[in-house]
Amino acid sequence: MPVIKNAVCSLCGCLCDDITVTVDEENKITKIENACILGHSKFQGMFEHERIETPMIRKAGKLVSVSYEEALETAAKILVNSKRTLSYGWCSTSCEAISKAIQLAEETGSLIDSTANVCHGPSALAAQEKGSPGATLGEIKNRADLIIFWGCNPVHAHPRHLSRYSSFSKGFFVPRGRKERKMLVIDVRKTDTAKLADKYVEIEQGADLLLITALRSIINGHEEVIPEKVAGVSKEELLELAKLMKEAKFLCVFFGMGVTQSRSKYKNGDGVASLISDLNQHTKAVMIGMRGHYNVTGFGQVATWETGFPMAIDFAKGYPYYNPGETGANDVLVREEVDAAIIAAADPGAHFPQKALRQLAKIPLIQIDPYANPTTELADVVFPTAVVGIEAEGSAYRMDAISIRMKKLIETKFKTDEEIAKDLIEKVRELKRG
Amino acid sequence: MQRVNLSLKEKNKIPLEAETLTPDAFAGKTEEEIKALSVWYGNEKRLLGDFFKVEVQGCAKPEETKILIKGDLSRVKRIGQGMTAGEIEIYGNVDMHCGSNMEGGKITINGDADSWLGCEMKGGEILLKGNAGYYVGSGYRGEACGMKGGKITINGNTKDYLGEHMCGGEILVKGDTGLLPAISNNGGTIIIEGSATMPASEMKKGTVIIKGKVSDFLPSFFEEGCEELEGLVYRKFTGDVNVGGKGVLLISEGSLKTEAKKKK
Amino acid sequence: MSEILIKNASVCDPFQGIDCEKMDLCIRNGKIVESVSSKAKVIDAKGRLTLAGGFDGHTHSAGKINVGRFMNPNDARRNPVPGLSGKVARTEKTRAQVGYNTPNTYAIGYRYAKLGYTTICEAAMPPLSARHTHEEFKEIPILDKMGLTLLGSNWQVMEYIRDKEPEKLAAYVAWALKASRGYGIKIVNPGGGEAWGWGRNVSGLYDPVPNFEVTPAEILIELGKANEKLNLPHSVHVHCNNLGHPGNYETTLETMKLFEKIKPSQERQSLHVTHVQFNAYAGTSWRDFETGAPMVSDYINQAKHLTFDMGQLIFGPAVTMTADGPVEYANSRMLHEKWSNQDVELEDASGVVPLSYSPKSFVNAVQWAIGLELALLVKDPWKVMFTTDSPNGGSFVNYPEVVTYLMSAKKREEVYSGFSELALGKMVLPEIDRELSFSELAVMTRAIQSKMYGRPEKGKLTIGADADIAIYELVPEKIDPSVEHEKVKQAFSATAYTFKDGKLVVKEGNIEASPMGKTYWVNADVPERVDSAMQKDLELKFKKYYTVSKSNYMVEDEYLPNPVEITTKGDF
Repeated sequence: MPVIKNAVCSLCGCLCDDITVTVDEENKITKIENACILGHSKFQGMFEHERIETPMIRKAGKLVSVSYEEALETAAKILVNSKRTLSYGWCSTSCEAISKAIQLAEETGSLIDSTANVCHGPSALAAQEKGSPGATLGEIKNRADLIIFWGCNPVHAHPRHLSRYSSFSKGFFVPRGRKERKMLVIDVRKTDTAKLADKYVEIEQGADLLLITALRSIINGHEEVIPEKVAGVSKEELLELAKLMKEAKFLCVFFGMGVTQSRSKYKNGDGVASLISDLNQHTKAVMIGMRGHYNVTGFGQVATWETGFPMAIDFAKGYPYYNPGETGANDVLVREEVDAAIIAAADPGAHFPQKALRQLAKIPLIQIDPYANPTTELADVVFPTAVVGIEAEGSAYRMDAISIRMKKLIETKFKTDEEIAKDLIEKVRELKRG
Repeated sequence: MQRVNLSLKEKNKIPLEAETLTPDAFAGKTEEEIKALSVWYGNEKRLLGDFFKVEVQGCAKPEETKILIKGDLSRVKRIGQGMTAGEIEIYGNVDMHCGSNMEGGKITINGDADSWLGCEMKGGEILLKGNAGYYVGSGYRGEACGMKGGKITINGNTKDYLGEHMCGGEILVKGDTGLLPAISNNGGTIIIEGSATMPASEMKKGTVIIKGKVSDFLPSFFEEGCEELEGLVYRKFTGDVNVGGKGVLLISEGSLKTEAKKKK
Repeated sequence: MSEILIKNASVCDPFQGIDCEKMDLCIRNGKIVESVSSKAKVIDAKGRLTLAGGFDGHTHSAGKINVGRFMNPNDARRNPVPGLSGKVARTEKTRAQVGYNTPNTYAIGYRYAKLGYTTICEAAMPPLSARHTHEEFKEIPILDKMGLTLLGSNWQVMEYIRDKEPEKLAAYVAWALKASRGYGIKIVNPGGGEAWGWGRNVSGLYDPVPNFEVTPAEILIELGKANEKLNLPHSVHVHCNNLGHPGNYETTLETMKLFEKIKPSQERQSLHVTHVQFNAYAGTSWRDFETGAPMVSDYINQAKHLTFDMGQLIFGPAVTMTADGPVEYANSRMLHEKWSNQDVELEDASGVVPLSYSPKSFVNAVQWAIGLELALLVKDPWKVMFTTDSPNGGSFVNYPEVVTYLMSAKKREEVYSGFSELALGKMVLPEIDRELSFSELAVMTRAIQSKMYGRPEKGKLTIGADADIAIYELVPEKIDPSVEHEKVKQAFSATAYTFKDGKLVVKEGNIEASPMGKTYWVNADVPERVDSAMQKDLELKFKKYYTVSKSNYMVEDEYLPNPVEITTKGDF
């Protein structure tokens, strides 16, 4: 039985690359070592979830099986006839597939956006205000003596983060691991991550920017402007917190959707970046976003080198135009301004607001996904695909923007996202030529 | 004097990109020439005349050109973008980027405006009778400088990030503002007659006056006593201390519950 | 078999000592050949200037540049060099283009090709993120590419130097080049990247690196020796300590002198010092800051072991990006600018900060002059590589502008006549009347690179060379570049023809085809005995300190669709 070592787990932004996978003669994964419970469920889910078996087209209200060629033709016609298509998702797939998706969007004058639209998109906007002072995860492992989790709950969302990269890991300058590191959690409720922390600071909902501003004022030497209480935290505790940060030798703020999606959205990330810059006047500090989907970082990277922008790119005029708030997936759906959609490796059906879904239901929708999900209910053309990282190889970017090549572990009959996007490009060209 | 009357034939859902809709582009042109100006409709390049009825009286330079537009323009973007002179009067709601990068002339909107109204404008005047969206008079993504000159008056309310990165000019809002008005102000003047939440964050210079209720006052300003202005007494703050700011924030007495600390 | 005959070319090829002579060039299957058959496609160059394809030996065009794009979406709106910047819609032949300092990958390929360039060297590639660099290379059309591997703050390197293990050091360098598919050794602010791991820096060549008990001087010299032990085609490529500090010319001179004792293994320099403009500052603070170019060029004029590049400044917006993490942080605080940072575990630091150079700033004006002073005061063009350290000093799309600075004293005067008295008093440029010939320019923009990087098929038009050819819209004997600098600029802004491997890629400034270029990388052979001893140490590094496993660290073949493996044999 083949045993594949150092396989990459394509579940979350940790992209753990130390997974051992055993595959039997029947092309089934029989054993998974080192993965966390979420990773396990991804590998196992392969054999438990119902796969979409064949390409499908909605006829008389029902999805019916059709040939790949017929699905391709129908999908390409939708794209060619559209004046404004939204291409969305492309985060739980390979960079190679993303690259083709961008080319397809360019050739069809579409908008393309990633799932960052509903998670870490504001982190990009923040970086466009202040930059992004980060480091690779190994820097944290080897140096950090203060680790701050802000608005994130890795115990549940990134289970191996703590042991591989942060609090519990051992590193060169931190040989005893957790014993030599302080762990601080800032959140609106006492999460399971907070329960492991040395210190937990509970803040009022939506008050992140107030807390960030107060910490900056103290760190920049103006504690006299701080009132008795900010964001539900007493001045005394704020002073203590600032001291803890300044006295650390190396600190990292890991921030999650509690920061990026709460009130003041990207101005929170912007504020954290400024706080990190201010802290570097006293010590060494960096920040890293806790990215969810395993390759949402990759979408940002590929889109940035191919179009200049990390997300929400509008190719209507033939060149890329970028303005989240105007060109984001939800922006254009809520305003009912798109007339077709292609959705891959994402499930807006489960994550978008009602108003956006109503528009998706009205327009022709092409779905590319290994599994049926709520979006399938709205789809008019469905392409089943291989599961990237298990049935298909390709690059993905870890939350710290390190590129790792995912392996193909088992054989599959399904086409990959990349192949489907390529075929769509060809088909669209063929139709345009007439 | 040249007068151009436009009316939208039918409400559109896919937005029109109508940066050609300015006195500069219309001045001296006939009805046919104006109809033949191009607009983007989704990924198609189309003609203005496909969407608007056009009537022209007279023929003049931009500064003597007045455009009247009627209809629901809530999917017509970039009206008056970059205009240098003349006048646009709109009866209806307008879409994003109205008057962005405007350098002169006047736009009057008898309705609401969507986001990025008067973004990065350098001169001229915008009068909005209704409500505005996000980023009035701000800078575009990644830019260090928003509005640099001119004046925007809004009779209604605005959403978040009013005047972000403003470097000059003046904005008057008679209604309420959303989150973080006057953020990163670097030389502009913003007067808010209604309410504001977390105003003037990271202000480097400029003046912000708030007459209504202030929520979530940011802990990054020095209080410098009181100042009287046009018969009203304001508490005076300077900051933002985190950017070494010398901006002035005046908040009407009684509008602020939080006690900020006096300068040593 | 594809054949092309270029007739009536006014060829300037410094390697052959041909200085704007009328001749025909024959191309077959991508190479320059002696003759072609009568079936060859004929192109009449009509006496226009014909050079080998340009070779940018130091540019930031893949990898870190993505951080620059990411944090500056506003760059996409800028169009200061029409035809070579800004938004361009897709066409049947080209992908959409966007940007100025940080253009998208497609624009990088097209724009370099329009300038007559056919090869670029990405100047900084940390091994851990090398895969990313190669992913961008794959999307840069037309050009041949290579990347330099960052090793100047690498733990394994510093430990081997500290432990006096030169053989293992060389073996590690060979492995790192293989793992990253790199072409040569890049050293940035030696030791400073590690110090920046703690928010600190090293202050000079003899300031020990915290916790590693080695000095920057040791890092430089030992990597220099390893480079020659491995017989690498390029020398070490060094960004000196103290970059950007007034008074740093002394550190630069010390660094240069260190290498006097290193014997190169090939017919080339033993040291390349990069973007010296940023490292040739005199004075003690920004108040008494002045040019250090005369001191640096005096030394270079009598030295035989080194080459350098200019790092010329361009007025207007630029984006600084470097592995010199502490410099970028300091820049961002001084200029109140956005700051991105990316420290790479066990390897190096890096930062990105956008800024703008203004002729009204006396510091920027003097910096502008220093780049030109260096290029003009150093007598031998075979020591000078033409760069703007794109986009640190400014975008490569401004190369035509820089050409006019070098070829016309009048043009220079037009620029510096706008400077303040204060600035003029801190520079020597107005005293320099040298104007480069086309031949000297050809040396600095293509020929020296061929020699420096050990790529004999590049930068020349001899029989057997790659048919990378640029034909510019000017007839050398009919133009006086000293006076008609605007015409020169126009001609260098868009070639009449660019050929890449014998394929027509640009015609009259328009992209005709976008073939995939090659990626060069170096595979240096190390004896099994040394390699396996080194691997044991390396295994431990991966087991205990890296967050990526060793097998997933190596850049796979899939990322080099058109690789050229250069093999060397180490002397052990």
